[in-house]
Amino acid sequence: MRPKKEDFEKLYRDLLTLIQEEFPLHPQPFKVLGEKVGLTEEEVLSFLRGLKEKGILRHLGASPDSHKLDHFTCLCAVELPEDKLNLAYEIAELPEVTHAYLRDHKLNFWFTLVLPRENDLTPYLEKLSQTYGLKFYAFPAKKKFKVRAVFSL
Amino acid sequence: MSKLTDQEKKVLQALIEGIPLVSRPYAEIGQRLGLAEEEVIRIIQGLLERRVIRRLGATLRHNLAGYEGNAMVAWQVPEERVEEVGRGLAEKPFVSHCYVRECFPDWPYNLYTMCHAKSMEELKRLIEETAKELGLTEYQILATKQEIRRKHARYHL
Repeated sequence: MRPKKEDFEKLYRDLLTLIQEEFPLHPQPFKVLGEKVGLTEEEVLSFLRGLKEKGILRHLGASPDSHKLDHFTCLCAVELPEDKLNLAYEIAELPEVTHAYLRDHKLNFWFTLVLPRENDLTPYLEKLSQTYGLKFYAFPAKKKFKVRAVFSL
Repeated sequence: MSKLTDQEKKVLQALIEGIPLVSRPYAEIGQRLGLAEEEVIRIIQGLLERRVIRRLGATLRHNLAGYEGNAMVAWQVPEERVEEVGRGLAEKPFVSHCYVRECFPDWPYNLYTMCHAKSMEELKRLIEETAKELGLTEYQILATKQEIRRKHARYHL
């Protein structure tokens, strides 16, 4: 028996919680996910397509371990004066920048760099400093306690 | 070390770009790369086992998923308490990331957490409670004002 209409919302929430954690290595993964929460394959697919269009589903795929790929990531920050906030958008567009946030603080622009080697960091930031005339801070990670949580919905 | 075969690199790149929303996504990826569906699945299995892929799944935009309060909190923790406090912070459900980072004389914060809650008020309450519980007095809440960019890295594979 199919669930009542009001129960569907919960099924979709269950699906979103589940799909953040695991994606089945089965020829029809969306069917397997649907079976786990009580939806059909087509319901799962059309729901996810809708979320993708709305920008809620940002990415469905692999999150690689950059360390294992011999890449170096580093959190960086710079204090942008009010009249230079546009630089945040410019810096965010650099191919090495993966995350960029304006934050409510004196140190207001924070971004993450991914570089092929750790040794590339200092020259990279020196070049940024020269280009923009600002002081860039680098906060390389020394230890990771937690890399990500799943949002329950 | 990235001792990946050419096939593994191709599959990984495809998975970073994204799993297509079709009934048989591994078959579709395989078709693009000239691999059979079961080869694609086998390669992914291997990448997951070796932890080259940290996670296979969905990433949701959390503010659209009902999380309106988002902040990075930078904590100043005495060196001898870093291990204990780091574990304590990491086990909080509202903390998604917890890292120890290098600090500077004019920026003495060494532990960083990404924090999320349904609202900013709730988030501030959770942070204050946690600070009290762990006996931390020096910290900076850097609320997210705007997310400009969030994407996967362009890896040189």
